[in-house]
This record gives sequence, structure tokens and C-alpha cells, in this order.
Amino acid sequence: MRDRTTSTPSLAAQVLLLAAIIVFCLFPFYWMVLTSLKSQLVALQTPPAWIFDVTFSNYTEVLFDNNVGRSLVNSLIIAVVTTAFALLLGAPAAYALARFEFRGKKELWFWFITNRMVSPIVLALPFFLIVRSFGMLDTHIVLILIYLTFNLPIVIWICTDQFRSIPREIDEAAVLEGASQWRIFRSLCLPLAAPGLAVSAIFSFIFSWNELMYALVLTRNQAKTAPAMAVSFMEGYSLPYGKIMATSTLIVVPVIIFALIASKQLVRGLTMGAVK
Amino acid sequence: MTIRSTLTALAASAAMSLALAPAGASAWSLEEAAKPYAGTTVDVVFLLRPGYEAAKQMLPEFEEKTGITVNITEMPYENALGEQVRDFVAGGDLDIALIDLVWIGNFAENGWIVPADKFINDPQLADPDLDLDDFFPLVLNAFGAWDGTVYGLPFDNYSGLLFYNRCMLEEAGFDGPPETWTELKDVYGPALTKDGKYAFALQSKRNETQSADSFARVLWPFGGSFLDENFRSNLLSEESQAGLKFRQELMQYMPEGIVAYDHAETVNALAQGDVAMITEWSSFYPTLANPQTSAIVDCLGVAPEPAGPAGRKPALGGFSLAVAAQADENEQAAAWLFIQWITSKENAKRYLDLGGVPARQSVYQMEGVAEEHPFVPALVESWQEGVPEFRPRFAEWPQITEIVQEWGTKMMLGEVSTEEGAREIGERMEAVLEEAGYYSGNKPLIQ
Amino acid sequence: MQATQDIGRNAAALQRGGRPAAEEAIIDVNRVRAGTKLGFLGPAVFALAAIGLAPLIFAIWTSLYNYNLTKLANMRFIGLGNYAAVFTDPVFWQAMGRTFTMLVIALPVQIALGMGIALLLHQPGLGFLKTLARLSLVIPMATTYAVVGLLGQVMFNLKYGVVNQLLGFIGIDAVNWLGVPAYAFATIIFWDIWQWTPFCALVFLAGLTTVPMEIEEAARLETKSWWTVLRHIQLPFLVPGLTAVLILRTADTLKQFDMVFTMTRGGPGSSTELISLLIQRIGFRAFDQGLASAQAVVLLVITIVLSRLYIRIFYREV
Repeated sequence: MRDRTTSTPSLAAQVLLLAAIIVFCLFPFYWMVLTSLKSQLVALQTPPAWIFDVTFSNYTEVLFDNNVGRSLVNSLIIAVVTTAFALLLGAPAAYALARFEFRGKKELWFWFITNRMVSPIVLALPFFLIVRSFGMLDTHIVLILIYLTFNLPIVIWICTDQFRSIPREIDEAAVLEGASQWRIFRSLCLPLAAPGLAVSAIFSFIFSWNELMYALVLTRNQAKTAPAMAVSFMEGYSLPYGKIMATSTLIVVPVIIFALIASKQLVRGLTMGAVK
Repeated sequence: MTIRSTLTALAASAAMSLALAPAGASAWSLEEAAKPYAGTTVDVVFLLRPGYEAAKQMLPEFEEKTGITVNITEMPYENALGEQVRDFVAGGDLDIALIDLVWIGNFAENGWIVPADKFINDPQLADPDLDLDDFFPLVLNAFGAWDGTVYGLPFDNYSGLLFYNRCMLEEAGFDGPPETWTELKDVYGPALTKDGKYAFALQSKRNETQSADSFARVLWPFGGSFLDENFRSNLLSEESQAGLKFRQELMQYMPEGIVAYDHAETVNALAQGDVAMITEWSSFYPTLANPQTSAIVDCLGVAPEPAGPAGRKPALGGFSLAVAAQADENEQAAAWLFIQWITSKENAKRYLDLGGVPARQSVYQMEGVAEEHPFVPALVESWQEGVPEFRPRFAEWPQITEIVQEWGTKMMLGEVSTEEGAREIGERMEAVLEEAGYYSGNKPLIQ
Repeated sequence: MQATQDIGRNAAALQRGGRPAAEEAIIDVNRVRAGTKLGFLGPAVFALAAIGLAPLIFAIWTSLYNYNLTKLANMRFIGLGNYAAVFTDPVFWQAMGRTFTMLVIALPVQIALGMGIALLLHQPGLGFLKTLARLSLVIPMATTYAVVGLLGQVMFNLKYGVVNQLLGFIGIDAVNWLGVPAYAFATIIFWDIWQWTPFCALVFLAGLTTVPMEIEEAARLETKSWWTVLRHIQLPFLVPGLTAVLILRTADTLKQFDMVFTMTRGGPGSSTELISLLIQRIGFRAFDQGLASAQAVVLLVITIVLSRLYIRIFYREV
């Protein structure tokens, strides 16, 4: 470890450390892509191969024979719609928590946030039984709704803070002009809160895209999401590592690209929000 | 055997009802029988295993002949029970149940599957060539029947076999595989465990593999069993303990971390030449004989499982297909036609050639089959006699197997002694059986 | 990656959120009608109540019954029988113990490493390399948790795994990462650290950028010790982020399922069976929904108590 009294590590040490961080973060990702290009025989080679004849057969197989394509579309639909719902319901609630006074506000806020903490297994069991009694297993809408249990808290958590950061003088002026709360919310505050909405939308989308347990329990065919699909290739009977890694790559690449792109746009949004 | 006679009676009654049927019945054909059901779709769960691949390749022919669509959902074995139970409880859309032999009690007692005689006695639906007697009686009885009633027809059938690396054995001075478990441990074990190679691998991962492939496999050949005749735990008996202790001792000749080995790891260990012998399901023969997936193709040997003091009691496993009770009448009929067709005598050879393992005796008597498929003699021998309740097949098995898996692995890891583990399993297992009403006389003692 | 700044800021909000915002309110409270408030809050409250609360009540109801999916005929009320079983079942408490062991090992490491990385990235110079590192840090935390587990299965495999190969290059014998109970437990902790250290680093880095430049520079003129600067100048600005990390990581560890399920399925033996995996196994493999519901309710109570505790502690003046 570094000496407590030296102020900074040497430049060489810094370069080395940074390189280590980058390799540490990227290597598993690299290995996943590499494995996805291996044939079954190469994938089960000891020691593992770094250079080999690249094959795309895993991708064609999972996309055309195993319906991974449809599961990706399912994931996309579910993540987008649930995010939209979460914003639609969450933003007004966040506004109310930031601006209005009422009894039990603290408790209400805490209850919203607690939903984010609850293990999905707590709700997965009863949800399965309820959904089956409605005959709605294996439908998109069920996942869209249940994902609200973790997306609404995110939106409310982030947006409450965002609305608080908007100067109240703006509202006050509008109130004096006789604007209704809805008008103030919609026309004044909502546009100003765009950065917070964007951040919470991105988190909502990523969490929904990545969710596994509910998808595993509540879908089988029609509404099966991509993570549930990837898991279904795990079979003690054979070790189709190439196929599993190809599916994994197809799941992960879109969300990583999304996160990287979104992170850039967010810089602008956040600095906007920071100028209070 | 009473079940045997029931089966024969069933077959006879089927034949009789056919005889009494109008003259047109003698000209039974699949196309004719399926006419009313053209356009029907039947839903079924398939596993990601060779037998299902074979069936999938045969499917277009059936669909073309009948106009019935078979809608397949593929999933790993580990999910298949849960998915089906949830579907049946929810009144879902499965029309055919895929039944591992240990699920049949559960499915039958819940009324999720339809007894086969409903269709066998229907001259419109029953193929005159159905010939239930042609199935290996042990297999039909174990995979398809419960409490004397036939529900399912054996579809994806396994017996445990000893696969070995002939070259490694010869190098160590052995002419052939061990005849008994004791010989395997005391003679072959020390001779073949050296230079990073191991004599044996026993798949023991904590899932059904632990109960079926590891725990039960050492129980029966030594005279042990899960339950005594009063349905009390028999795991503390001298014989059961002998089997479980044998497994502990055998572990010194197995690779480290054997409790993480599932089928794939075990088969691959033999295929890569890292272990000399494994006891695995017959259906792995193609994997081991394929140069794409095996480095020991020329050294591969197959034999029946070794015998214990109580005789050869090879692992028994496999799946039957039965008509689901939740399907409507048309779907039930269409489902039956598919089940009957895919397991038929007529299709057995093709199924075998495509990588499936039929349970039809006739196909294995055909000339050249034993040469084309070298695992056949060992398989046929294993199916001559066996223990249907190798793992008890009653409705409580899903709960009990969880207990066995947990404490069985703890035993292997040395976290508990075989006695302590057996006591834990015994107490928990008896609690489940008590709850089910076996001890109060509410339930007949069938396993 | 800037997204994480928001989490940091929200932890700050958390600290404020506890106190009634009365002093902040400029809109006259009395002038906002109750109906309007209901209009804003109603839909969200109703949705969460219907989706989040109703199943919970159903779970509590189920937990009072002998309720096995494969034996619905035997369903009957047994009062607190399932709870008695939970409280006396060592298997349940072992799984709970494993979950908390994972938390108390992984979380401090993630915080310490994350802090170190954040401080490193906060140093001036090497701009390009640092931008690259910052972008790299986004990748582990965005990766689908189930995929992280599958990837772990591939990389840590005794024979085909690249980890043992890499260790071999530096002369270390192959380790049976997923086959030996203690190693498997260490592996899932390591893998959790891999995925979530970057998250901590980004949150702390966001916190560091909120330290006013003048103050930091003035402090650096006075002392050469980075520790002194960290302790007295930077740390106060990092507390909101730290709070967010503590709350989110605690909750997520109690929820941890995907990564472990796909990597080890709780094995070998029970060595990596965390609480969520246990409940899943009882509920969906042994089909004992009554017992599983009781276990889930106990887990929920523990989660709520912990969340309350955290929020109470961090609401205090820093």
C-alpha cells in the first residue's frame, strides 16, 4: 500500500493502476465475447484457447433456432413500457412529495423507498398465485406491472430530489398569476426536471432489462425475457458455453451501449440541474 | 407381478374391444384416426437432450400425416417439473405431460394425467399395433404406471451403464471392467488413480443428480433402500449404511470437488481421458462415441453397472408421455395419437437411429442393431430386472429429494457422518410422509 | 456514468427527506387542496399498493396455511406453524448467516477499493487514460446480473476456466473455485466485488467533484498527507454517496439471487445458498408455498428493520 505521507503515487504507478482497473473491468466482457465465438469443442478445451477459428454458429443458432430474438424483443417491450409507466405515475408523486405538505409524508416516502429494498422472492410467490388465478401467466403486462415495484421507487427517489432543486420562486410567480398546480407541474417544473427524469428512466430501463427472478417465475414462452432465456440453456446434460455466452453477449451489448451513450448525455443534464 | 398382469389384461381388453368394433376398424390408420383432429395444436414440454432432438426430427412426418401441430417448449431438466406443476395448477395449456419416473405418483394423485385405457379402449384412437407387451415390462411399469394403472408410454428411456476407457484399463493390466462395486473400489481404484487421473467419477451435484445418480446408486446394490415396508426410514439400516459408507470411501478415487459434478462434467471427464470409469445414463453413449465431443472414441467400452452384495441394481430413469387431464377432448385425442405414434413399435428403429432410446423389446431383437449401437446389449441386460422404486415415485418425492440432495451432499463433504446424515434425512422424510397420511392409514403404501 | 452522481445527490436528499420540508415550502400549504394532492399522489400510491402490497398480504395469508402446490387438496390453516418451522430450522438461519457474511466481507472491500479508485481518478493528469477508466467502470455495473453469474461459471471452471489458466501463468496450481464449498463462497464474494466496486468508485468520484476546488487546494498547501485531506476535507462531501452505497448494497445483498443462482445454484452442498435462493428452492422446487411465504415474510421484516435503522442513523446531523 501507498505510504500515508506521500501525497500522490508516482506517474508510473498511476498508469499501472489505471491499466489494472481497465483490464479488471473489461476482461470478463472480452472473455464473454471470445467464448461466444468458439465452437463447442473449442469452448470445452483445456486450457482454454485464446486464438482459434472464429465461428458465428452460436449466434445463428440462438437467434434462429432458439428464439433469443423474440426474447430480446420481449425484454425491450417490457423495459420500455414499464419505464414509461413508472415516469407517468412517479413524476407527479415525486412532485407532491417535494412541494406539498401533508400528514404522514415521511411515512409515505419511506414506504415508497422500501419497495425498492424488498427481495423479489417475497413477491414472486404470491404474485404467481394471484396472476394464475387471473389466467395471466406468461403475458407482457404482468411483468410490466410487477417491475413497477422497483421502478416507481427509483423514479420517486430521484425525482423528488430533482423537483426540490427547482427554485420555488418560479412556482410562486406562477401561483400569483393564477396557474393551477397541474399547470405549474406540467408546463414549468416538468421541463426543468428533465435531467432527473432522464436519469431515473435510464435506471428503470437497465433494472428492468436485467431482471431475472420474476421473469423466471411468471413467463414461459410468449413473454419470456432474454435473461430468462439465457438461463434456460444451462443444463446439466451438456455445457453449451458458446451458446450461453452468445446469448449473454446479445443481452449485454445493447444495455452497455445504452449506458455508455446515456452517460454522456447525462453530463449535460446534470450540470444543468446543478446550476441552482 | 400384479402390475404385469394388469398390463396384460389391459392389452387384452384393448384387443377385444377392437375385435368387437365394426369391420372398418381393422383398417385403422393414423391418417383416418386423426381426421377429426386436424388443425388441433397440442402443447408439450421437451428437454434439451438427444431423445428429444430425435423426436423433433421425426415430428414433421406426424404433422403432415395428421394435420395436428405439436407445439414444443424446450427447457432444462431442472425447470421441467416446476414449469409443469405450475402449468397444471394454473390450468395452463399443456396437453401432454412429460413425466420423469419420480413424478408419476405426484401427477397421477393430483389427477393431472389421464389413464391410458381411456384411449386404449377407444377403437377410433387405439392403434391395433400398440402392443403394450412389447415395452420392457420393468420400464412400462416404472415410467408409465402408478398403482397398477398405466398413464404414460415410455418415451425417453435410460438405464445406468458403466462407461469405461478400455485403453486406460488395459494399461493398468485389466482385461475388462469390474464386475462388482467392491472390486471397482478395492482393485481398480488404487490401480487407476495416479498422475492426476482418477479411477472413477460419480456425478453428485446437488440437484436430482445427487439423489438419483449418486445417493440411490450406492443404496440399492448393497441391499439398502429409502424406506422399509412400513414406510419408515431404512437409511440407518446396516445395508443402507454400508452403501453410503462405500460412497465415502470411493471418493478417494474420484476427482476433487465431485459434489460440483453434474452429468456434463462427468461425461466430459471420461471423454477427455481424465477418469477411467463412470456410471452414467445410456443416453450419453452418442456423446462419448462422437469424435466431436470425445477424445476416447476408440477406447470406449460399455458394460452393465457393477453389482453389489445385493445384486445388480442399476440406476433406472426415464420419461414417459401421458395425456394431460386439463386438455379438452380434441386435444386429448390428438395428444394420444402423438404419444402412441412417437413410442410405437414401427417408429422405434428410426428413433433409435436418430439418437433416441426406445423401450420396445422388438427393436433390440432386430438384426444388426446391437452392432450399430454397441450400448444395446448392456442396456437390454439392465432392463431385465430392476427396482421401479429405485427412487420412490410417490407424490412426496419432490419434497424428499430436496432433503436427500441437501444432506447427501453434506455427507459427501464430510460435514456430517453417514449416520448423522441418514438420521436427518430419515426424520425429515418421515415428517413429510406423516403429513401425507401414510402412517395414519389414510394412504396406501405405494412407492 | 454521471448517472451515479444522482445517486449521491439522492443520498443527500435522503438526509433531508426525513425532516418535514415545511421550512422549505414556499407554496402556501393551505392553498393546495387535498384533492389536488390526491391527484398527484393517488395513482402512484394505488399502483404500488395493488402490485406491491396486495401480494404481500396474500403472502402473509399463505404463510398461515399448509399450502403445497402439489397437494392443494391438503391445504389447511395451521396458524403460526410455518413460522415455528422457520425459527427452529437451522437451514434457514444458515442461509441468513451466509447472506450477512457476504455483506460484511464484500461491502467494506467495495467501499475501500471504490474509494481508492475514485481518489486515483480524481488526481489531475493522464486525462485520456482516466476517461477510459471511467467508461470501463460503467461496464460491470450495467451487465445483467444473470450474465455475470453465467460468465463466472465459464471463467472459474476448474478445467475450461480462464482464471485457472491465468493463475497457471504465474505458477499457481489450478484451484477448484466452484467445486469446493469454501472457495465457491469466496468466488461469489469476489464476483460481487467485481461487479459493484465500479459502482462505488463512480459514486465516490461524483462526491469528490463536489468538493470546492479552493478548499481542496488550500488544504493541499498545508499538508502533504493525502489521508489528512481525505479525512478532513473530502470525507464530509463523500458521506451522501457513502449513505447511498450502504443502503443500496445492503438491500441488494439481501436480494441477491441472479448472479449466485446462475453461477452455483447455491452449491456445492449449501455453501452458496443465500436466503433468496433458499426461499426459491422451497417455494418452487419443493412447492411448499406456505413455508416459503413464512420465510419470505421473515426476510421482509428483517429488510424493513434494517432500512429503518440505516435511515435513522444517517438522518442525524453529519
